[in-house]
Amino acid sequence: MGTGLEMEPLLQAWSYFRRRKFEHCSQACSRILEKEPCDQEPGSEHLTQAAWSLKTRALTEMVYVDEIEVDQEGIAEMLLDENSIAQVARPGTSLKLTTAKKFDGPSPAVRPVTQSGRPITGFVRPSTQSGRPGTMEQAIKTPRTANTARPITSASGRSVRLGTASMLTHPGGAFINLSRLNLAKYAVRPQLAKTLFEYIFHHENDVKNALDLAALATEHAQFKDWWWKVQLGKCYYRLGLYREAEKQFKSALTHQDMVDIFLYMGKVYIRMDQPLTALGLFKQGLDRFPKEVSVLCAVARIHEEMNDMKSASEYYKEVLKQDSSNVEAIACIGSNHFYTDQPEIALRFYRRLLQMGVYNCQLFNNLGLCCFYAQQYDMILTSFERALSLAENEYEAAEVWYNLGHVAVGIGDLTLAYQCFKLTLANNNDHAEAYNNLAVLEMRKNHVEQARALLQTAAALAPHMYEPHFNFASLSDKIGDLQSSYIAAQKSETAFPDHVESQRLIQELRQHFATI
Amino acid sequence: MPEVKSIFREVLPKQGQLCVEDLPTMVLCKPKLLPLKSVSLAKLEKMQRDAQNTIRQQELSQSEQPSTQA
Repeated sequence: MGTGLEMEPLLQAWSYFRRRKFEHCSQACSRILEKEPCDQEPGSEHLTQAAWSLKTRALTEMVYVDEIEVDQEGIAEMLLDENSIAQVARPGTSLKLTTAKKFDGPSPAVRPVTQSGRPITGFVRPSTQSGRPGTMEQAIKTPRTANTARPITSASGRSVRLGTASMLTHPGGAFINLSRLNLAKYAVRPQLAKTLFEYIFHHENDVKNALDLAALATEHAQFKDWWWKVQLGKCYYRLGLYREAEKQFKSALTHQDMVDIFLYMGKVYIRMDQPLTALGLFKQGLDRFPKEVSVLCAVARIHEEMNDMKSASEYYKEVLKQDSSNVEAIACIGSNHFYTDQPEIALRFYRRLLQMGVYNCQLFNNLGLCCFYAQQYDMILTSFERALSLAENEYEAAEVWYNLGHVAVGIGDLTLAYQCFKLTLANNNDHAEAYNNLAVLEMRKNHVEQARALLQTAAALAPHMYEPHFNFASLSDKIGDLQSSYIAAQKSETAFPDHVESQRLIQELRQHFATI
Repeated sequence: MPEVKSIFREVLPKQGQLCVEDLPTMVLCKPKLLPLKSVSLAKLEKMQRDAQNTIRQQELSQSEQPSTQA
């Protein structure tokens, strides 16, 4: 400003930090550090240290993502899983064994399923995003479309890509050169070590160095500081050493009861595919912290993953009693109501989300669908229009067009439906459901060859869905290709064991074959 | 109004069976409610998008520089 009324630089940086203007904060700290390089005069040492620490915190905050949420299992982890004791887990004790189970709640005839055979959920987190194929075989068989592609290992996943990107964007190279850092020097200064650790762990994603620092620091703290133990556990978890991680978290719990520690430990058990142990642990957590929302949510998630929708929604309701604006609970209960034939109630839940200020493509799409099935016709098209304008990428737009196609089918405008499904495919070429529905529409026009081709594409893209298999079976049956019909019907039955029409078709074909 | 009644008489079929046959038809895939994104997922995706954009811009500026020099 040039009036001489400038703020003290460090105070200004601190103020930027508190207002979450991390870019400005980091620049302000850099100016302080440039002006007074380290080790010049004894008096300025504290100032530079403070500026340095503040800058590390600002840089960390820029890329900080809650570690409890981050989880992405890569192919290598599944293939080289050394933690499983038995090849085939006993029923009801594993998250992976989902085939050949009874559906509690809506069947796949009503509620779409993910590739692992679970009903789709109302809420996604980074860990549940990829739909987690249950077995290695499934993971390899799943076509690697743009949406379902998995990283080779979790260490090569999203976090590393972000790390390299942040390096590229800093023209002068990284702020701290980790290879030249004397970790032992920092480990004895707790006030610097903690910020440095978070910087290494979250910003640089260098878990090995972070682990070294944490090990030195916990030694310096005489193994009495729970914080460092939790950090050690986080590092071990990232490195895939789950038993070690568990040990650290348990040891941390003896020093200090924290909700976070319970959640981290639950994450370890889920990764080791021991949902029942995790549930037991969370029960302990709930004894210690009664009605804690995040623990209740974690319990509900496990029930949902194990296909126990009834208990899941009970826990979500419990969450809503404590925190009436929990987005995850509202979304999950809403979608549950929608798929159990109560779209009016689902509409109320989604409207509540809208009132709370959630404003995105997904919400408007869900509102539109709920309005349609609850027969509130005035709101449908405006909701879908809003959803389309809010779509962030073509995959989201594809989903909206797909649902709009259903509305068109519902009002009997088959030309519009046809166009909607075509637009879905124009936006996302791997949309198996749209291929299937297009095939059904083609069959109405008696275009058998087109329908066949579309169904084959759909079945190849999504082998976990029963619809394309069943449609292919009934189509082949109609045109007399009984062998293909039988094969497809069997596939349909494995995808959805309780499907009556598939069973009936198989029976008819068997009788037919027997008479030949 | 007895006259009106005489004009419109209800029709009840006395012969034949009244039945609806359940024909197997092709099934449509069901409408999909889209799952809402958690805050961390939204943040991760935003960071990824930003990173990609900056890299793309850097690449663009790099590819433009040699062409202007030449």
